[in-house]
Amino acid sequence: MKNLIKTVGLIVLFSITLFSQNVFERNCKECHEHLPASLQRMFMAYLKVYSGEITVKAAIKGYLIKPDKKLSVMSDLFIDRFGIKEKSKLSEKELEEAIDIYWNLYNVRNKLK
Amino acid sequence: MFSNQRTVLSGYATEQVKRLKILHHYFPARDKYPRDSRFNSAIYDIERVLIFSTLENNKVDLDKVIYRAGDKIHFIKYLDDYYLGAMYLIIEIDEDRSWYRDTILHILALGTIMLIVLAIFGLFFVKLFLKPMKNSIELLDNFIKDTTHELNTPISAILANIEMMDTSIMSEKNIKKLSRINIAAKTVSHLYQDLTYLVLGHQRISKDEIVDLKALFLDRVDYFYILANSKKISFDLDLEDASLLIDPVKIARMIDNLISNAIKYNKRNGTIKIVLRKNYFVVSDTGIGIKSDKISSVFDRYSRFNNSVGGFGIGLNIVKSIADEYGFEITVTSKLGEGTTFRVDFSKDVIDEKSN
Repeated sequence: MKNLIKTVGLIVLFSITLFSQNVFERNCKECHEHLPASLQRMFMAYLKVYSGEITVKAAIKGYLIKPDKKLSVMSDLFIDRFGIKEKSKLSEKELEEAIDIYWNLYNVRNKLK
Repeated sequence: MFSNQRTVLSGYATEQVKRLKILHHYFPARDKYPRDSRFNSAIYDIERVLIFSTLENNKVDLDKVIYRAGDKIHFIKYLDDYYLGAMYLIIEIDEDRSWYRDTILHILALGTIMLIVLAIFGLFFVKLFLKPMKNSIELLDNFIKDTTHELNTPISAILANIEMMDTSIMSEKNIKKLSRINIAAKTVSHLYQDLTYLVLGHQRISKDEIVDLKALFLDRVDYFYILANSKKISFDLDLEDASLLIDPVKIARMIDNLISNAIKYNKRNGTIKIVLRKNYFVVSDTGIGIKSDKISSVFDRYSRFNNSVGGFGIGLNIVKSIADEYGFEITVTSKLGEGTTFRVDFSKDVIDEKSN
């Protein structure tokens, strides 16, 4: 009985931890944390190439749906070392939500002083 | 317009781009937007959304390269790499209006040069166009000068010999002929005196003395009597005593010319009325008169009322020059077909108050 309660408690705790994370943290952040190029640096690379909010978001979305070496904003050296990511399994809505969170997290605007 | 500022602003923009590049690389560890005491700046992304601005005038036109915004000048630079997402970099400086002063100075300098060049050209062309006219006047003047010189001796000889002739032993027919010779010689003599005055008169220094005008008028009328009589012209004299402090040769030339004109342009059986007062004299004729539009030009040299009457057209020009010299005022009134009146008002300076 004690073991059962312990198991249920662990499952509930795991579920709470899992569902308290948003779609970005669940699906993006986790893997990228293991890469040498941070999400911040990747964001800055996107910003340098695509500039505006709409264009940056459209570029990220396009790349995640159909990853392509030619479309990547990362250097050839990085691609050769780590390869390109797999196609995203998220729905379009989830993808857009994740990208919105990503934009809001790393956006330059309102952070410059 | 902004050619001077453009170079400076372009330099500022390049410096700012370098700073943005560094900030882009170190962001978010460094988040202070680069500032410069010499200029303000702002960055906009590709969708023309403001990223950051230190501009004082926020009226931005991203479609222009350089423009004036109030008392500021904005310069737009398009970035090749969108550091911090910036596609447009705006550099703002104070407008010192030096370009305005420069432009005004340039306009003034060029305008002055153009004006001088045009004036030189104008002068050149005016001289070129007036040359034929000047030449013809010079030719006439030279002709008069040359002929005058040769006239003196024969005229003096003719007049002196006429005076010496004893008319009491002459027949009536010959007396008439002699009278005609006398008139002709006096006409030529009068012309000679006019021409001499014209050629040499201006170089002559006036010898002013008290002149009894009444006596002078009587003398000149007597001189012209034979000439007037040939056209059956009678004199109507109304002379009061008057004296002037004036060169006798000049006042004689003036009176002679006015009387000579009155005879020349009078009708046969006409009258010449001469009125002399303390302050003025009037010579009027009953002649052909002058058209009203020609009155203003009667004193011009070589101007004649009527080509059918002989003369050089210099008489009234002499009258005017003498009048101007002594400050006399001449008034001409004329009615076509009825006659012309010349009124000469003396200036106060020459009226001899003591004698009057």
